[in-house]
Amino acid sequence: MKQRVLLVGGKNKAKSLSESLTKKGYEVTIINKNYEDCEKLAENDLVSVIFGDGTKPHILEEAKARSIDIVISLMKNDEDNLVVCELCKKKFQIGKSVSLLSDPQKTNFFHKMGVDNVICDLSAITNIIEQQALMDKISKVTPIVEGVLEMVEVKITRNDIAYNKKIWEMNLPREVIIACILRESETVVPSGDTVILAEDTLVLITKKEQKKLAFMKLKGSDVLW
Amino acid sequence: MKIFSNKNHKNFIVIGCGRLGAKIANTLYDEGKHVIVIDKNKEAFQKLSSSFGGMTIDGDAMDLTVLSKAVNDENTCVIVVTDRDNVNIIVSKLLMEIFDVKHIISRLYDPDRQCVYQELNIETICPTLLVADEIQELLQQKDIRYSV
Repeated sequence: MKQRVLLVGGKNKAKSLSESLTKKGYEVTIINKNYEDCEKLAENDLVSVIFGDGTKPHILEEAKARSIDIVISLMKNDEDNLVVCELCKKKFQIGKSVSLLSDPQKTNFFHKMGVDNVICDLSAITNIIEQQALMDKISKVTPIVEGVLEMVEVKITRNDIAYNKKIWEMNLPREVIIACILRESETVVPSGDTVILAEDTLVLITKKEQKKLAFMKLKGSDVLW
Repeated sequence: MKIFSNKNHKNFIVIGCGRLGAKIANTLYDEGKHVIVIDKNKEAFQKLSSSFGGMTIDGDAMDLTVLSKAVNDENTCVIVVTDRDNVNIIVSKLLMEIFDVKHIISRLYDPDRQCVYQELNIETICPTLLVADEIQELLQQKDIRYSV
């Protein structure tokens, strides 16, 4: 049976999500409280669009919320998103809820309230910008475990401190580990005696606060931000 | 108007300084309680009476830093009366979950949303239902019967 996804609010986000979800074979229902947006969203014949306020129970009822598998709340205001997710979870017993959040401080609170996935667009975008801006030094930073840890790829050149050193000699902070070394097309699982060569790509798993220090130990400068 | 006779409550926070919020804040202050009023619009505080001597905070009550400025202990009683139901819900829940506030009363315009408040254990007052009851009472007093 087709999985049913409900999108609440959001104009462009709902539009592009509904397009990719219908392509993947999901059955998509959209609720939007702006009539013009509804017309725009209804251009895709495969989605059903409901005009109304998704924070009201009778509108959700109309969207047959009881048979929805995943609800994604994309509204502008945090409070509206929370109410949509609460209603869907508690009143309509929808299994999975995903919510957009503008204030990163409230991430834990949203989790505590039972929202399964919380996406803070602001911090996601700033992360990407930071990554792109520092592309030459760090090729990739990926936040994991709710952003407490980060996975960082670092390319080593001949000018770096780490070049031609054994891992134990570098005296890395305790909360930083080199998970893997990419050498040409081989992966090397490092031990303390492994020597770092030029053109090695190190994959670090590090606590967010230790990233700067680790970078200094490897590259010899902390002027990365 | 006597809102709370319970002697244990000394500190009150009123969130949303509209007609209702201002009225409650004035009354509580006149009864000698310690009152803090929060509203994101500074001009709203003009509705408070000139004798009001409590504290006012202009800021968004959904902002945790604003709330932490106002909430000092969990025995504070908070009255949430902003003009948007969903804001009232999230503020009440923030107060319950993050600040452990035990006494919260929230206003709810849309009786349809009552179920959300019930699920979340928020105590509510719904003006629509109160007025409807009151009108029905008056109609009965005047002996006007509905023709069905």
